[in-house]
Amino acid sequence: MSLDLLIYAVGAFASLMSVVAVYLALVERDLVKAVIYSAIQSVFYSLLFYLFMSPDIVLVYLPVAGGVLPALLLVLISKTERFERE
Amino acid sequence: MVGFLAEYMFTVIYLSLFVNLGLSLFGLFYKPHYVKKLIMLGILGDTLNMFAIFLGYRAWPSPTTPSRPPILLTYPFENASVLVEFTSRAVDPLPQALVLTAVVIGLAVMVFLIFLGDNLFKHYGTLDMREIRRLRG
Amino acid sequence: MKRVVSLAVLVTIVLGMSLLLALSGQSFYPSENLRWLAIVYLNTTYNPYLPDFTVWSPEAVTAIVWDYRGLDTLYETTVFYLAIISGLALGRGVKRLNQKPTDESGLSPIVKTVTKITGPMILAVAASIGLHGHLTPGGGFQGGATAAVVPVVFIVVFSSFYLLWKGVSSQRMLTLRSAGLIGIGLTSIALFLAGLLLGLPSYVFQNIAKAGSPLSMPYDVHGALLSGTLWWFNLFEFLAVSSGFTLAFIILMTPEAEEKW
Repeated sequence: MSLDLLIYAVGAFASLMSVVAVYLALVERDLVKAVIYSAIQSVFYSLLFYLFMSPDIVLVYLPVAGGVLPALLLVLISKTERFERE
Repeated sequence: MVGFLAEYMFTVIYLSLFVNLGLSLFGLFYKPHYVKKLIMLGILGDTLNMFAIFLGYRAWPSPTTPSRPPILLTYPFENASVLVEFTSRAVDPLPQALVLTAVVIGLAVMVFLIFLGDNLFKHYGTLDMREIRRLRG
Repeated sequence: MKRVVSLAVLVTIVLGMSLLLALSGQSFYPSENLRWLAIVYLNTTYNPYLPDFTVWSPEAVTAIVWDYRGLDTLYETTVFYLAIISGLALGRGVKRLNQKPTDESGLSPIVKTVTKITGPMILAVAASIGLHGHLTPGGGFQGGATAAVVPVVFIVVFSSFYLLWKGVSSQRMLTLRSAGLIGIGLTSIALFLAGLLLGLPSYVFQNIAKAGSPLSMPYDVHGALLSGTLWWFNLFEFLAVSSGFTLAFIILMTPEAEEKW
């Protein structure tokens, strides 16, 4: 099995797991869990960016969508309401 | 057979990006809470940036030479064959530069919307968009 | 149970549809040749044989961001600045509390000690990413975003008033941010002003000597690459972005006094 098949296989696995994470973030009622699922989706997207040979984007994407934005959203949730209604 | 497997897995990546796009658009329109809409807007922007990087990828020139990121590693070089080999293997650098700008602008919009959501809660007491639409100030 | 069934259906749809597309030969597979513009950028980003076109930086993406397409990045910095200003404007006129953090506030002493050790390490890594942007992957914005994680961790672990008590107030962060933006503006017109003073032709946003003007920023310091304006842009952008993020966190996370509407 040559190396570029391995790269594509890891990429396919990461993109399928990101579909799972986006669906779980959509259906969840508890907003703290939805923010955590969105951070998991960002980690899988970073892995996919790395496999497409772009290290600059990985270094932007990991602190921004995996560190700063979930922190800001969690602060907003703690100041307002936590559960989504019907 | 090996060519078919590579093409199949590449198509799996491509199609799952379309499914992400559809799911995030559905969540943006049909979920009534403000913070859920913000999360789905972030996922939408990131999927569009992933499309741009996807289009800038370059297949391997031969099964033993992999494609590489557009960064030169041996800089004071003597003859120009290093540069010729670099140009024949490196990935397109232009979509990466444009995606950098797009990520920063998406982040700026999200920071502004978070400040706005804080102010909405102080005025209306709830973040449910159906109730805010009914109250009208 | 309902969620597991929906997830299985979704994954099966993705796998099956892509099998259909791959079997019929209608899918998209990347080619092995690049377009002409990408070949031009890759050829001229570090090329001692073409001294009129090169940027003297072995990193193609940073050269495109700050030299070939420098105006795009200037306006992107302006958009980010506008977002922080909007946060300041929405939070004006609100009285904020200012108490002294005691020993019982925050998390346990183990977490506090570990945070005191790893905080400066994160800052060192962020400075390395930001200042080596013209040689390795990185740059000003990447370093600034990594350095912005440190105030969040400190506020969560110690207390909301720890930063204010240590002297990191919103006025000082605003001053640092303005200093960074002034630095970016001055670096972009530095060679233009030098050309006006000396009477030689020069351009705005010029980096290395081109065919029409002989002025150039120093790109080499005793063998270590400096790449002209790229290093200065990275330094000022690092300052501006990290202090902007810290300002947004201080505004959002400090508790307010009771207001009567």
